[in-house]
Amino acid sequence: MIETIWSFIGAFNYLVLAYFIALHSIYLATSLFAFRALRRYALRLKSLDISELITSASSPPITLLAPAYNEEATVVESVRSLLTLEYPEYEILVINDGSKDDTVARLTRAFNLEPAQRLATADLPSAAIRGVYRSRRHPNLWLIDKENGGKADALNAGLKYSQTRLFCAMDADSLVEPEALIRIARPFMEDSTTVAAGGVLRIANGCTVKEGRVVDVRMPKNFLAQLQVLEYLRAFLGGRMGWDALDSTLVISGAFGIFRRDVVVAAGGYATDTVGEDMELVVRLHRHCSENDIPYRIHFVPDPVAWTECPEDLRVLGRQRERWQRGLYQTLTRHRVMMFRRRYGRAGMLAFPYFFFLEMLGPVIEGVGYVSFAATVLAGRAEWPFVIAFFSAAVVLGGALSLSAVALEELSFRRYARLSDLLRLFWLAVVENFGYRQLNAWWRLQGTWSAIRGKEGWGKMTRKGFNTGPTDG
Amino acid sequence: MDGQRKRYDHARPGELLNPLLPGPELGVGDTALLVISAVLVALFAATVVFSGYAVLLRKRHEARDRLWAGFQERWEAPVLNALVAPDTIPDVHGLVDPEYELHFVQFVLEYTRRVRGPERQTLSKLAAPFLPAIAERADHRSPEVRTRAVQTLGMLGLPEYADQVLAGLDDESPLVSFVAARHLARPDLPQHGVALLDHLARYKDADSRFLASMLVAVGAPMIPELRARLSDPSVAPWERAILADALIIHMDPGAADIAAEALATADDRELIARLLRLIAIIGRPEHRDVVLGLVDSNDPLLRGQAFRALGSIGDDRDLAILIAGVDDESPWVALHAARGVRDAGGRAVLVDLVATDPALASLAGQILAEESER
Repeated sequence: MIETIWSFIGAFNYLVLAYFIALHSIYLATSLFAFRALRRYALRLKSLDISELITSASSPPITLLAPAYNEEATVVESVRSLLTLEYPEYEILVINDGSKDDTVARLTRAFNLEPAQRLATADLPSAAIRGVYRSRRHPNLWLIDKENGGKADALNAGLKYSQTRLFCAMDADSLVEPEALIRIARPFMEDSTTVAAGGVLRIANGCTVKEGRVVDVRMPKNFLAQLQVLEYLRAFLGGRMGWDALDSTLVISGAFGIFRRDVVVAAGGYATDTVGEDMELVVRLHRHCSENDIPYRIHFVPDPVAWTECPEDLRVLGRQRERWQRGLYQTLTRHRVMMFRRRYGRAGMLAFPYFFFLEMLGPVIEGVGYVSFAATVLAGRAEWPFVIAFFSAAVVLGGALSLSAVALEELSFRRYARLSDLLRLFWLAVVENFGYRQLNAWWRLQGTWSAIRGKEGWGKMTRKGFNTGPTDG
Repeated sequence: MDGQRKRYDHARPGELLNPLLPGPELGVGDTALLVISAVLVALFAATVVFSGYAVLLRKRHEARDRLWAGFQERWEAPVLNALVAPDTIPDVHGLVDPEYELHFVQFVLEYTRRVRGPERQTLSKLAAPFLPAIAERADHRSPEVRTRAVQTLGMLGLPEYADQVLAGLDDESPLVSFVAARHLARPDLPQHGVALLDHLARYKDADSRFLASMLVAVGAPMIPELRARLSDPSVAPWERAILADALIIHMDPGAADIAAEALATADDRELIARLLRLIAIIGRPEHRDVVLGLVDSNDPLLRGQAFRALGSIGDDRDLAILIAGVDDESPWVALHAARGVRDAGGRAVLVDLVATDPALASLAGQILAEESER
């Protein structure tokens, strides 16, 4: 009996090893695609002057939707950043999602808001609207004050009140770079079949923010935040850029993405019964367009940047990762019909199976794999070649792939200009594999379990506010 | 398991990872492990190369930054001086080493984006001796290099290198063609406008307003050709829609008659919507009849644009039709109709709606607020 169990554990160890190899092979493949795509993108950027596009009469008007829930620490700074965007025509709709803190009062004071009227142009469900306000000082700034209903519900409320062909979904606590809107709107100008485009999210912790703009990019001092810088580089420059090169973008960050309003409304708006409403919307757009024979493209654009504050303590970070995993599970199980179906193109044949088997089920395999591997080693039943192979697959390769993400950053945008920052990123690529990675697997395992149990809600997220540098006087 | 362990115990170091070495016969598990190991080594090697590349890139970027800092120091003051004293241009040419001629052109190109008129001509003269080398690159096998060459010639080499840029319109790479089109769309070279129109089909994927704006950049001399093609039913409807947009941006009063005439025969939804939009913006009361025929359209897009046009060119007689439109099931149609009510002189109606009709108050309120901003 015991031998049978050990045989089973031995076979499982091989499955885990195969999982690591498959996962890292795909990471490497997407990184290579990203490498090629980033080079081409950089050359393309040189050929089409961004300032020409900004002044062009052809830039489509955009409505920015910024849901805010208990964002008193950062909301005024964030809205200020939105007001300084370099774009010919845009409106900002801040949607207060029933905040219990001082969010509305701070906005009202800072921007001189007063009651106003605005037509709802879409029939999407959302919690009750308490009032609509407009800034006397900035006529393109509006506040939709509503009962609490969650982020997706707030976005639906904003979508109802948006009146432009494009809308940009974002977090009220993120800082969008001045040229980001024109950069992210570019695919819509160059390709009329574009229905959605996502930009890059970067970590603002440690950076200096002045008047709503990141003026000095630095690595955060907090170790957890440093690790997240590396994670974001890997996810955006290695992962999303690579999937975009394969025309299989399945995720656009909820913190910064731009969409065709009519297509999103026709697809039913944001789903309010998932905590991964951003990914769910993109997957649903794939389905909606494929099933209705609508020619479409969903792009990832690597240079429009939004900066966000990341969690600096384990509890909050754990809650965030658990929620992300729950959202992933909810989305992929809901749209499992897409799996390996030609009808859904590369999204169904490539990206969906990857996310399903390696991202969604991965933490289960990885988490249980660490335990079974440790048990095998402790029982003295592990062969050294296998131990070396497992260690290489689980740790060394992970580190090496993180290094490749740093290479992509170096190839493209070089935001971390100091050599010390580059060296720090190298160091983090090694150390994240000892403890942090396993912790992440644990949080994601919890997320999967919570999703299976049907847990709902976001969990509490606390914000510290941006580092606005030394104050004068 | 035990059997396997025994076999490993007797293996020499390296033997298990190298199937070419002589040794005991391998089982299925050993072979699998060897394959896995080989894959791992390959993956690891690839990522190490990638990572090493990061360091090399950093070094290369730093070297490039130093090189450009040197160029800046050497060329900036003379180039800026040449902008105010063009007779110093030959002196600036003397500062450019043969190996850095292309760098110099790139240096000048950066300034070209910031200036207009005579200063731009001065920059063209500064780059002129080095442009033949750029023109050669317009035939390079890499589309990115060709794009850059066409862009440079478009910004610094027109009209002398117009043939190379025009040839770019037919380049197999869509990017080269698009960049060539953008650079030929300039008011001082209206003779190339027709070539742009002839190549419009190559840019069909681009947003129509983007293309319209590009055509408008050629300037007023293009208007007769835009009108002629708009009135030609043999031209593709999507192309005519772009031409309509371009004529709207030009605010060409003559285009309204053509649009009204074209509306009578057009059957493409997008084209009809653009023609109605054109009439809404630059139409006259005599176009009213053709618009009236579309306010009952089943298509909300066309109905909305028809209400918008009617509000703009209609009069008191049309107020009742427009007021009925305010109650349309489509909020977009209602929005256009309400704007039409305002434009047709029905402000009092909107004020009344705000006070008496809770369902339409927000619509009417928004339109009244827009009025105060105008």
